[in-house]
Amino acid sequence: MQKSGLQILHLYPNHMNLYGDRGNLIAIQHRALERGIPVEVVHAEPEAPISWRDVDLIFMGGGEDSHQARIAEDFLRRAPELTRALEDGVPMLAICGAYQLLGHYYRTVNGDKLPGIGFLDVTTEAGRPRAIGDVVAHTTLDITPRSLVGFENHGGRTFLGTGAVPLATVQLGQGNNGQDRTEGAMHKHAIGTYLHGSLLPKNPHLTDLLIRWAVDRDGNTDLEPIPMDLELKAHDVILSRC
Amino acid sequence: MLRLWIAVFVARLVGMLSRVSGRGGSSLPGIVARRIDPEVLRKLSVRLPKGVVLLTGTNGKTTTAAMAAFLLKAGGLRVVHNRAGANLILGLTATLVQASRCQVYPPADLALLETDEASIPKASEETHPKALMVTNFFRDQLDRYGELSTTVGLVKQGIAAMDADGWLLLNADDPQVAFLGEDYGRVVYFGLDLNGGDLGSLGQHDAVDARFCPRCGKPLVYRTQYYAHLGDYRCGHCGFVRPIPDWVVSEWDRQEGRITIRSARDTVALPIRMPGIYNVYNLLAAVALSGTLGAPLGPMGAQLETFEPAFGRMEKVIIQGHTVWLALVKNPVGFTQVLQAVGDSGGQRPKWALLVINDRYADGQDVSWLWDVDFERVHQAQHIERWWVSGVRAYDMALRLRYAGIPDHKVDVVQNPSDALEHMLHEAKADVPLYIMPTYTALLEIRQYLTQKGYTRHFREG
Repeated sequence: MQKSGLQILHLYPNHMNLYGDRGNLIAIQHRALERGIPVEVVHAEPEAPISWRDVDLIFMGGGEDSHQARIAEDFLRRAPELTRALEDGVPMLAICGAYQLLGHYYRTVNGDKLPGIGFLDVTTEAGRPRAIGDVVAHTTLDITPRSLVGFENHGGRTFLGTGAVPLATVQLGQGNNGQDRTEGAMHKHAIGTYLHGSLLPKNPHLTDLLIRWAVDRDGNTDLEPIPMDLELKAHDVILSRC
Repeated sequence: MLRLWIAVFVARLVGMLSRVSGRGGSSLPGIVARRIDPEVLRKLSVRLPKGVVLLTGTNGKTTTAAMAAFLLKAGGLRVVHNRAGANLILGLTATLVQASRCQVYPPADLALLETDEASIPKASEETHPKALMVTNFFRDQLDRYGELSTTVGLVKQGIAAMDADGWLLLNADDPQVAFLGEDYGRVVYFGLDLNGGDLGSLGQHDAVDARFCPRCGKPLVYRTQYYAHLGDYRCGHCGFVRPIPDWVVSEWDRQEGRITIRSARDTVALPIRMPGIYNVYNLLAAVALSGTLGAPLGPMGAQLETFEPAFGRMEKVIIQGHTVWLALVKNPVGFTQVLQAVGDSGGQRPKWALLVINDRYADGQDVSWLWDVDFERVHQAQHIERWWVSGVRAYDMALRLRYAGIPDHKVDVVQNPSDALEHMLHEAKADVPLYIMPTYTALLEIRQYLTQKGYTRHFREG
């Protein structure tokens, strides 16, 4: 089935909006509109009603600890509906704090376990020092080029369970935990990652994949090709640091 | 005493040698002085009759400090103040150490020190400031400082170490700044009281920083919003309200470039040459600070006619007959405000812009922040006809412009900043005003190039 317009659900834009998270939405909108696909972005703050049936793509960013604490309860309350949507193949991009919340739990420095919804088979431990810097990684997704570039800035160390597939293998930077060279995790069409930068503007091939999944969950529809020259030049600046 | 003496004079000698050898290095004398006598900053501060004033906050430090120092000097005080870039503890130390050529102690009544937020606890603990001013809190370079709440915490530590009779000067319009005054007795608030007519296209809000009550965490309600989260707010939940400012801008005539400032003592009309509402805040803060410290308000209007903006802060230079403005950009709110100011200045005339984006440590290595700058909303109103994009991350910037809806044919990418500047100067007609908006290290590069070419007077910068 193919849809004519896309509805993007942006979860907690006022709370979970670290540097440049907005850039990811701008990129999706831009590359969809260039192809004549109308886009509607729906913002949902805590307690806002969400019409899950109409959602074609979900985005959620990272937030300061105090902000994350304010939305955690609401997010967990929505776990059944969100999980159902993700199981149905609705694509989601979850960055940093949102990625951690898709996992089983985040264990703080004090040993408290802050629960997530457990859709991704990952767990996160607080760590020091923060992993900060450019990242170049090689993804297993079927997209061209295979490289993903971004900027990471996270204290948490995320470890993958047996049910999780890493988004990519790190060639520059720390990635999930600085130990196993994995970066991010995926299940169905949900992608969790630590990459900011903003991620999607300079990874147009990943942007297009998300749009393709959003347009047609079975992934059978090819998108009209549009230029990605400038996008890949920005991409190559970081790639060349590897 | 001997130790202090040695520390001061050795440090000065090192500073002199480093300047002669062309290395600039404004923090080196600070390193040397503190190595010889770790108490040097404390000992020098104590001897200032009116003590030390610290000025901090995310944006506006340099311009506010420059204007306040200017007004205090015009008011008859002897003031030592630091240059932009020398605002970490080593820079503050170097500033006091080098204040005189032959005396040990600075021959000044007070030291006005622009201070990086992260250095506030230490600076305050060593100088016990007689006044501490906080301009605003915005997100700034998360890769260096971490979260905003960390910054607020650092400033709180600084407040705790102030002189017992010290004044805390706070921006009433920034909820997180105003909240710092809640448990403090001697607070002076400053803020704007402007109505829609003065604001024109402004008065809408941009997208980035959170606007939650600093006391209870619930969303704030705004009656007026000047930019970002600055405005007249209250919390419907716990009753936290914007404090009534002691120093108020009651009018802003954008065409004539004048503002009216009211205080309990007086009302004055002042010229403001620098465009943008953020410069209204900067001037207000400078007047509130110098007024609180005893500078007379009456003559300020005439005095300000001769004020020259600080290095790269809407600084005007003439190059080959072109009017060129240099305005540092370093975080989303600041960049958005500079763009608004560009739109404000020179009216409807077409303008050209050169954006130079680097990602070295001092610039912030994460360029994500460019995506939080409100190009979508502001680019329509700026009348920028042509964009030149340069620097290490020129392509990220060009992409940002493309995604903001600016057509590719209006954008030129030239990665080397001096080449970009030359191209722009070559192609621009003489009557087109040019605006250069560089990140920090890019500003230094541009400056060095202009100096080399003899386009500007030499200007030493950290």
